[in-house]
Amino acid sequence: MSDPSPSLHLRQRLRRGRDRLATALITAGGIGVVAALLAIGVFLVVEVLPLFWPAPADTGADVSWQALWLPQSYEGYDAPQHRWQPTVTSAEERPQYGMTPLVWGTLKAAAWALVIAVPLALGAAIHSALFMSRRLRSRIKPTLELMEALPGVVIGFIAGLVLAPWVERHLAGALAMVVLLPPGVLIAGWGWTRLPAPLRRGLPLGWAGLWLIPWLLVLVTAALALAPWLEAGWFGGDLRGWLETRLGLEYASRNAVIVGLAMGFAVMPSIYALAEDALSGVPASLAEGAQALGATRWQTLWQVMLPAASPGVFSAVMIGAGRAVGETMIVLMASGNAALMTLSPFDGMRSMAASIAIELPEAALGGTHYRLLLLAALALFVFTFLVNTLAEVVRVRLRRRYRRLGGAP
Amino acid sequence: MMPRVLPRRRWGEGPWPWLAAGSVALSLLALGALLLLLAGRGLGHFWPAPVALVELENGHRLAGEAVKEEPPGEEASGTRGRERLYRTANRDLDAGSWTWVALEAIADVSHPSELVVLERRRWGDFIGRLVAVERDGRALGEGASAWPVLQARLDALQALRDEQARLRRESILPLAARLAAGPDAEASRELALANARRRALQAEADRDRLVLESVDGRRLEQPLAEVVRAWRPNAMSPLEKLAAWGQGVWRFLSEGPRAANTAGGVWPAIFGTVLMVLLMSVLVTPFGVLAAVYLNEVAHQGRLTRLVRIAVRNLAGVPSIVYGVFGLGVFVHGIGGSLDGWFFEEALPSPTFGTGGLLWASLTLALLTLPVVIVATEEGLARIPDHQREGALALGATRLEMLARVVLPMAAPAMLTGVILAVARAAGEVAPLMLVGVAKLAPQVPVDGDFPFLHLDRKFMHLGYHIFDTAFHGGDVQAALPLVYATALLLVLVILVLNLTAIFLRHHLKVRHGALPRV
Repeated sequence: MSDPSPSLHLRQRLRRGRDRLATALITAGGIGVVAALLAIGVFLVVEVLPLFWPAPADTGADVSWQALWLPQSYEGYDAPQHRWQPTVTSAEERPQYGMTPLVWGTLKAAAWALVIAVPLALGAAIHSALFMSRRLRSRIKPTLELMEALPGVVIGFIAGLVLAPWVERHLAGALAMVVLLPPGVLIAGWGWTRLPAPLRRGLPLGWAGLWLIPWLLVLVTAALALAPWLEAGWFGGDLRGWLETRLGLEYASRNAVIVGLAMGFAVMPSIYALAEDALSGVPASLAEGAQALGATRWQTLWQVMLPAASPGVFSAVMIGAGRAVGETMIVLMASGNAALMTLSPFDGMRSMAASIAIELPEAALGGTHYRLLLLAALALFVFTFLVNTLAEVVRVRLRRRYRRLGGAP
Repeated sequence: MMPRVLPRRRWGEGPWPWLAAGSVALSLLALGALLLLLAGRGLGHFWPAPVALVELENGHRLAGEAVKEEPPGEEASGTRGRERLYRTANRDLDAGSWTWVALEAIADVSHPSELVVLERRRWGDFIGRLVAVERDGRALGEGASAWPVLQARLDALQALRDEQARLRRESILPLAARLAAGPDAEASRELALANARRRALQAEADRDRLVLESVDGRRLEQPLAEVVRAWRPNAMSPLEKLAAWGQGVWRFLSEGPRAANTAGGVWPAIFGTVLMVLLMSVLVTPFGVLAAVYLNEVAHQGRLTRLVRIAVRNLAGVPSIVYGVFGLGVFVHGIGGSLDGWFFEEALPSPTFGTGGLLWASLTLALLTLPVVIVATEEGLARIPDHQREGALALGATRLEMLARVVLPMAAPAMLTGVILAVARAAGEVAPLMLVGVAKLAPQVPVDGDFPFLHLDRKFMHLGYHIFDTAFHGGDVQAALPLVYATALLLVLVILVLNLTAIFLRHHLKVRHGALPRV
């Protein structure tokens, strides 16, 4: 072996050294970044722990685990109550630390958001995976991705200051819309089958997502026009009064349904994207087999594709739930932020995330209130982390199953 | 087989596909309605609205811009007629600047061209007639000739204002800084001169007064120095209106807020948002890429790495407010508190870094967007075929050379996509900022001529928080609403443009590398 010149030898060693150094740096940096990210959970646990261990911390406030979740008796109330009122105005008052109303508010908001978002998102996913024309689909997906990127503060502003007052004034109109839209769309479908064939070819089902929009506008106008009659005929001329006297529901301007509409709008694109991926990922051989046996596309969907894709659809809904639980600005701006524990869809609520955003800047560092808010943050962190992990695991399994079913990737 | 005989073919696929199509249409409709609402209200605000002169049945007269029509609210239920809201301005003459008028009570509506609208520094706008322009109590123009005179005087006033601003910027502030550094006889003499000059300019501006009259005949003396601009919307041609609209948009983008954020522009908020996002991307890009390279290229691909990867992916789904809590606890109180104790002891107990500020907000958002960058970069890295790496190694490259010369350049568009998505996400986040350093109204911009030029400890304004604060904590929400719409439109536009860029880049990436699993 010939002896390389010393400078070449040196350069070789320099290169090796540089490589080793860079690898070490990348390793250190990578581990550091990942550790910093995971430190969030550790930080929250460390900060929350003094609440319960070694002993309930400072102040006279009773913050034992039970006191946080069970109704407590407070002065001025006969029965034990769930109450969240952490700031007190005078020395005699005792801060009231019941976390249950916050958890209730969070879950209620998330539940209403899902009630709105899941049918819309799944409907849209099914339509675009099965029926939509390929060209339209390649446009619709980025559009809905953009919808996902809309900032919560803008949606919250529209919900709180535009939608909420509008719905309050046009309660009957909004109700009429909800009642009228689904049958209206069905009428459009029925009418479509009656159209002469050339016209029907001009308005194919694959583009229905677009050409139904004017029809929806017609339906909305019709609903608003019909609303006064609806209100006069069925609700004695005043839907709000009817709700109060007949059902005992007070209508608050910023309420759970408004939050649900706004947050449903915000969450819907993420559910849609994942569900659509799951549905369109079903191996084509399965659907083709079913259709070759004479099934319609809808039957194929119901009997073959949905059972195959159900884990993916489930994980999509889970991720949507995770987003809805943690969304802050929309709830903050559209819910009224009263820590109520009611079932009524027309009451406001206060969620954990909104509580943190409002109260944490004012809470004394290291005090009970501060640590309780951090407990709320920890709860949000753990919940979303678990839900997302579950969804991710399910998706990985599903992908493996598709590969098995479809043979080639 | 005769499909025509099958009864269910009459319904096509049955009713369900139509409901599914309906949900697509409904989502698109909602999205379109939202964007149209923002665009219409946000941009429409700057169009000079016609001013109506309304005569009521009972003889009262009022002038204002019609805002909206509604059935009467709860308190006035009884009549079934509709009411119209007029923005009558004139807060100094009337108690408020809004008037509801029942449509039945209106006898006549006209749009006389001599009605003027004045934008003022105090008391909001004025709507009414211009009677005279006076200088030292002597009339310069009266009646019909007053309007051209007013225009000329306003131009002169603007020149005076520019002169004052120049004086302040070029003489007074540097001199004051010199004096603050130590006693300096020459500087204090110059400062006295400059101040005298400024007072003279102010006195010159204060000589002009306007005599105004509201449509119901009340007179008002208005110092011209407080008038920002004046226009006669009913006399403007569409072209003039368009010019005024353009000017309005420009002033919205370039000026600071006035009147408790209900008027003026959003320049400091734009500046704060952009600066914060820039700092954030400077922080997030190297670390995100580093972590992705480690996870994908260096780390042993075992069970642990897979778990870490899933964990990082899931951190993208953790609510932003949790990151805000982390930022407050660790950055602001933890690190910031310690920094204060070490370096800024003389300023304690008032905190320097121990309170929310630009640096902590950027760091928090960098942490929040780190998973986005990591995931996007990793996707890009995973897409590079292994034979590229093997080829480089086979030619004798070290791992560093392989990464730097082959892998990273190929993954660059993916990284860029990740950073753009991160920026788009960070620009829209408000909740964590409320904990770590956004301000309702920041007196000082975080960048100025004083050392060290970029003040990382200062609070800053943010477009998203501006929307939240003005819409929910402002005094006169009705007056602030158009500006909130405009701000929201601006924010949405910024984010849409960023996202479109990311989508375009990703598309470009797919086209270039092709070898993609089906999406």
